[in-house]
Order: sequence, then C-alpha cells, then structure tokens
Amino acid sequence: MDAKVVIENLWVKFEGEQGNVQALEDISFSVNEGEFLTILGPSGCGKSTLIRVIAGFQSLEKGKIFLGKKQVAEPGPDRIMVFQEFDQLFPWRTVIGNITYALKVNGLDKTKREAKANKYLEMVNLQEFARAFPHQLSGGMKQRAAIARSLALNPEILLMDEPFGSLDAQTRSILQAELVRIWQKVGSTIIFITHNIQEAILLGDRVMVMSSHPGTIKEIVDVEIKRPRLPETPEFMKLWHKLYTLLETKRFGENGRNNVLPGKD
Amino acid sequence: MQLIKKVFENKFLRQLVFIVGLLSVWQIVVSTGKYHELILPSLGSIWTALIESITSGEMWDHTAYSFYLIGQALGIGIVLAFSLTALSMVSPLFADFVKTITTIFHPLPGVALLPIALMWFGIGEKSIIFILVHSIIWPLILNTYTGFRSVSRTQLEVGRNIGLKGLRLVSSVMVPSAFPYILTGLKISWSNSWRSLVAAEMIFGASGGKGGLGWWIYQKRFFLKTPSVFAALFVIILIGILVENVVFAQLEKQTVQRWGMVIRREK
Repeated sequence: MDAKVVIENLWVKFEGEQGNVQALEDISFSVNEGEFLTILGPSGCGKSTLIRVIAGFQSLEKGKIFLGKKQVAEPGPDRIMVFQEFDQLFPWRTVIGNITYALKVNGLDKTKREAKANKYLEMVNLQEFARAFPHQLSGGMKQRAAIARSLALNPEILLMDEPFGSLDAQTRSILQAELVRIWQKVGSTIIFITHNIQEAILLGDRVMVMSSHPGTIKEIVDVEIKRPRLPETPEFMKLWHKLYTLLETKRFGENGRNNVLPGKD
Repeated sequence: MQLIKKVFENKFLRQLVFIVGLLSVWQIVVSTGKYHELILPSLGSIWTALIESITSGEMWDHTAYSFYLIGQALGIGIVLAFSLTALSMVSPLFADFVKTITTIFHPLPGVALLPIALMWFGIGEKSIIFILVHSIIWPLILNTYTGFRSVSRTQLEVGRNIGLKGLRLVSSVMVPSAFPYILTGLKISWSNSWRSLVAAEMIFGASGGKGGLGWWIYQKRFFLKTPSVFAALFVIILIGILVENVVFAQLEKQTVQRWGMVIRREK
C-alpha cells in the first residue's frame, strides 16, 4: 500500500509569556491509503496540536508534511477536519446548506451539489433533517452532519479531532460503529484523535500512542482484531491493558506526590 | 376585575392602556385652560393638523425627503463601515488605524460637526449626509468589529478548511457569524442618524425648496402652527417605533432568531 500522509521529523514549539513549550518533538510517521489510524494520548500530549498542524491551522517549527507526493502547509479541502465542537456547522445554513455551500466553494455545479449532499446525508442517516438548522439538532446529529459535509468534499484524508468527545456514552458508541461502517464503504483515509483507549482500539487499524512533555511518539501498535470488534473479547482486553500501561497515567498519590501507575516504562 | 386582569396580561393592550392614560392627562391639562393653545394644543387640533398634512400630501413629501437623505447616508455609511472593518480583519496594522480613528470620532456628536459641515459643504444635502454618515459609521464599526472578534475559532477554521480565504472568508463566515452584533450596530446607527437628521434639518433647512421633517417642524414653529409641530413629532415617533418594531424585528426574526443565534423575544 502507498503512504497517503507522511510526517517527517515534525517539531512544534509554543512561544508563551512563561517561556517556550516544546509541544511536539521529532514526530515521524505515515498513514497508508485507506488506513484508519487512531492517535491515543493523555491530555496535553500534543495530539490535537499534531492534527492541527497536519490540517494547516497550526504552524510548525521544523519538519515536513507530505500528502501523497506534494508537501502541504496551508489549510485546504484535501485535508478536512472534523472538530469536537458542536458549533462547527454554520448556524445560518441548513444542514444540507452546510454541505452544498462547502461544495459550491469547491466549484461543483448546482445540480451535482444537491445530489452529492443528499447522498452523504443518507449515509449518516440524516436525510430527514436536511432542511433543519443546526440549532435544531442534537449534539450527535450535529457531528453526523459535520461528518457528511467532510465526506462530501472527498478529502484525501479525513482528520478527526475527538469528534465524539462531547457526546454521551450511548450516542458515542452508536457513532463509532457508524463511522467504521462508513469508512469501510467509502474507503477514506482517516487520522482520528482520542484519549479513550476503547475508542482507539474499536476504530483503528493501528493505534499511535503518544506521551507528553514534550509530545513524542511512544509506540505504534497494530490492532489485529477482526471487525466488528467487541470490547469484552480477551484479545480486546489484552490490547486495552497494553495500551493502558503504555499511556503515562499519572495520578495524585499519598502525600501529594505524583505517583505513576505500575507498568509505566 | 376579571376584564382588567385580562387586559393587563396582554402586552399590547397593556401598552395601549398606558398610552391612553398619558393622552388623557394631556387632554385634562389642556382643558383646564391654563395654557394657551399655541403652547399646548388640544389633541383634537393636533389630530386635525395631522390629517390635513397627510391629505394635502405635505407630510408625505417631507417624510419622503427625510428618508431620501437617511437612505443615502445609510448606504454610504454601511459600505464605509463594512469596508473599514473587513480590511481591519485582513491587516492588523489597518485594524489599529481604524481603532484609533473610531476612538477619536465615536464620542463626537454629529450635531457638533454642523459648523464644519457648513464650511466644507455649504448649506444643503451634502452637509446633512456628511453628519448622518458620521453618526452611522462609528457605532457600526465598533459593533461589527466586536462581532468579528467573537467569531468562533472553529467556524473560522472550517471556513479556511473548505477553501475560503481573505475577504471571501470575511463575507461568508465572519459577517453571518457576527450578525447579532452587526444588527445591534445597525439599530444604534439608525437611531443615531434619525436623531441627527431631524436636528440637522432644523439648522440647514431646505435646499431647492425641499425639506425633511425637521425642516417642516422648524417652519411650522416659525409660523406658530403648534398643532402641526406636534403632528410632526408624532410622525417622527411613529417612524421610530415602526422601524424598531417592524423592520428590525422582522430582520431579526428572519436571521439571527431563525438561526438560533439569539434568545427569542418575549411574547
């Protein structure tokens, strides 16, 4: 398989008033065509920074990002981001209007826009709400609409920054299953950020575990569990524990000291 | 008792009761005969003057002229304010410049510029429009700028992500996203300019035989036609209420309320 996205020696520094913070240090990895890569890490490990750099929203200190053969820096419709925030749909456009508008900006003519928007709305099961305004939708429906809009643009890679992070557990697991179904149908290449171990295993072909201060890649783990994956199977639980120990799970121990859970390094 | 309670439950009827109450007080004061008709005319004579001026077409002409002036000023003001704010979003240096001139000119009442306008543009339409534009652009710039600054980062990034850049990003994402603020700015600009218009007309008067409502009031006072003065005031109030409660209310309903960007108005 060909590499769709290649990240080469990426460094990102944040300059703040309290000095500089090295957010990402020497990150290199690649994602294959049609692959689903989940990036797992504790909060503050720079995983969101990483996906924002790939999307072009965040500038990098050094390093290169390749999409296929071409190097990218500025944001563009070839790398579409699905955000965690529910306000990512334009509230002044209807659900279908959000999709057709994005297609219009990208030069599609009117009849094709409508047809395409309807196709993807159907894919995310939202055709009944095509004419609704975003404020009339639930959080889960808003995320579905955002996914439909992103897919309609046929990006070379779909970047998902904890898109289900603000949803309740039930909606979340429904959307996880639907995302896998859609991905299998469309064959898109996806980078998906999460801090949830179960989500990382459920979705990813591979799980990239990151550690913080500075953000580095700890390990990239292949998920060799057949789909559909069920969390209660022994192989799922085994991988869960492996990832759990890989994550730096710090907690406040006795005497206020920072204890590290057993298994760290 | 039951009926009174019912009347007061309805917002419109409640307000009607207040207005009728105020008018009654007026009429009672007039009927004491303590004040001369030229100082405080009766409601009847004001009504007669109003009907007369409407049927003769006089009131229409003056109102139309006032609208003609304010329409031009709003057109120029809105274009100017939007261009300045939009360019501010693209260039930080220009933003500083716009911020500085807004800080300087916003506190300056339009009427205070009358002598300058007289010297620069002479007596006539141009001077009035100059003052109106002044009273329109600063509050509009301030509100639009605040609105642009409060646009959600996510929506801006979505805009850039789907391929919008520069002024197109401003017009397609920032303007609708900031629309609640822009609407507030427009309301302030409208009421500012409506006030300034009446004041400016009284000083500049008519040009080429034409004049607006302010000029009409001034003229009528000159000829001691007090009922007509009050009739014109009534028309000015009515226009103010209509623009606020019909034009802006509809605009709000069709836009920011429909989009769920503001809390709906109370019934």
